[in-house]
Amino acid sequence: MATQISQDRTSERLDLTPEQEGLLEQGSLADTTIQARPHEYYTAMRHGDPIHYDARLGSWLVTRHEDISAVQSDPVTFSVQHGYSEQQARGMRDEFEAYLREHGGGYFPDAIMSDPPYHTRIRKLMEQAFTAHRVKELEPRITEVVRGVIAEVIAKGNGKCDAVKDIAIPVTIRVIVEQLGLDHGMEDKISRWSVAVTAQIGAMQSRETMLQNAALIAELQQYLIAKMKACEESPSEDMISDLVHAEVTNADGTKEKLTFEEAVSLVRATLIAGNDTTATAIGNLFYVLTTRPGMAELLESVVDDERQLNRFIEEHLRNEPPVRALSRMTTREVTVNGTTIPAHAHMLLVYGSGNDDETVFPEPRKFDITRQNLGRHVAFGGGPHRCVGLALARMEVKVAAREISRQMKNMKLAIPGSEIRYTPTVATRTIESLPITFEKR
Amino acid sequence: MTRTMGNLKVTMIDVDGDTHTFDDVEEGISLMELGRQNGVSGIMGDCGGGCACATCHVYVDDNWMEKVGEPDEIEFAMLDMVADVMKDNSRLGCQIRMVPELDGLEVTVAPASSY
Repeated sequence: MATQISQDRTSERLDLTPEQEGLLEQGSLADTTIQARPHEYYTAMRHGDPIHYDARLGSWLVTRHEDISAVQSDPVTFSVQHGYSEQQARGMRDEFEAYLREHGGGYFPDAIMSDPPYHTRIRKLMEQAFTAHRVKELEPRITEVVRGVIAEVIAKGNGKCDAVKDIAIPVTIRVIVEQLGLDHGMEDKISRWSVAVTAQIGAMQSRETMLQNAALIAELQQYLIAKMKACEESPSEDMISDLVHAEVTNADGTKEKLTFEEAVSLVRATLIAGNDTTATAIGNLFYVLTTRPGMAELLESVVDDERQLNRFIEEHLRNEPPVRALSRMTTREVTVNGTTIPAHAHMLLVYGSGNDDETVFPEPRKFDITRQNLGRHVAFGGGPHRCVGLALARMEVKVAAREISRQMKNMKLAIPGSEIRYTPTVATRTIESLPITFEKR
Repeated sequence: MTRTMGNLKVTMIDVDGDTHTFDDVEEGISLMELGRQNGVSGIMGDCGGGCACATCHVYVDDNWMEKVGEPDEIEFAMLDMVADVMKDNSRLGCQIRMVPELDGLEVTVAPASSY
């Protein structure tokens, strides 16, 4: 339900310490140090200046839970289509687009990153593939995939692995390869392609890295186009085939086939969205299991209790949301919680901060699976653009948690915590590599 | 935009306490879709009916609970995420599809989970 934002709502600003004042003045979400350890910056913004203009990024950062909720419930005032488009290859957008037209078989705007009413019909189509009940049917197969990946790691026999590169990334890629009907043996390429697509909305590219990433995206598109053309001629039992042959229902009940351009964009979005973010969630899970006292024991104690395990996963997604911030753009001048934002301004909904809002989640840094309002977290966004693959993501992370706990024990970080590197991006908070040691259970 | 094809009756009390009565509800439509199409306050249906977000939470009138039935395990898992407002008669509107046996159904839209 789209509701127009109420412009007369304001909530209290809190006094900041001198350190927080300084952080607000000097800090930016474009700073990789802040990206890696963002909580103090989030708190300073959320308390003192909840809709904060980050001059270095040229974006308004929305940091309170109530404001994130209000903005995402009004998709007309706050456009995803313009926000996403503006953020993509920011400042170099024309060159990016031209490169893909020349080398990537075309420029395919993301059909799902659009506004109502166009968005509504595309979204409806995607929703059918991702209901919680359909996802439940996939659980036994996904469990096999996860077991296989962990078994391979254990079979190396040295009790060491890179939890991100050897487990989190392979698990999510194998799942999406099967679901979409892509070719096995392409996992490394798919991983690089995913990173390249995500980098386009990360706001951290130089011209050189933008072009390197564009070359990878061009390669990805060429691969998908060839796959999709083959599916056009001989349909198969997978999601690529479903999308190639999909029809969308218009508001008046008439049906229309997706255009090929729309279908390419949706296959690409499915490949990327379900991949990087879920892998990030599993990587973050290893991080908390190896660094926070009591976490591995807590997981072990809930692993055979479906209800408590679901709560553990939801609290994990609240506590360590993979997606840090996504874009919107104002379609008119608008006042949000006392701050007036001009028309055509770029905004980032900072989910990482919303999930830490102490007015919604008391003691937000505490990991508490007994929270009574876990469903309010914004790790999946909210409103009409709420993550469409959320049930699949939850299930993949849950299966991973279960299998990790059942097969591995005494997991420890193999590098000092201070050496953990995060991907330079405003869009996600992603650990790039996480060497650990473990024993086979 | 009330659908006019059916003849089933549904009463929904929205989150502001206003009563909406529909007497031309089509068979097969879910309470989430009915609420969303008619702007019933408190029915968001973010996930689109996938039983994956708990933004179409309703309390089923006690007299109807037996006919409507209990949530399954997947639905219960979502309701558990809004445990502070979950009751014995909680259901997700997207999981209740209208059939002739539910003609006359009455539900109240649940408030959002607390702050």
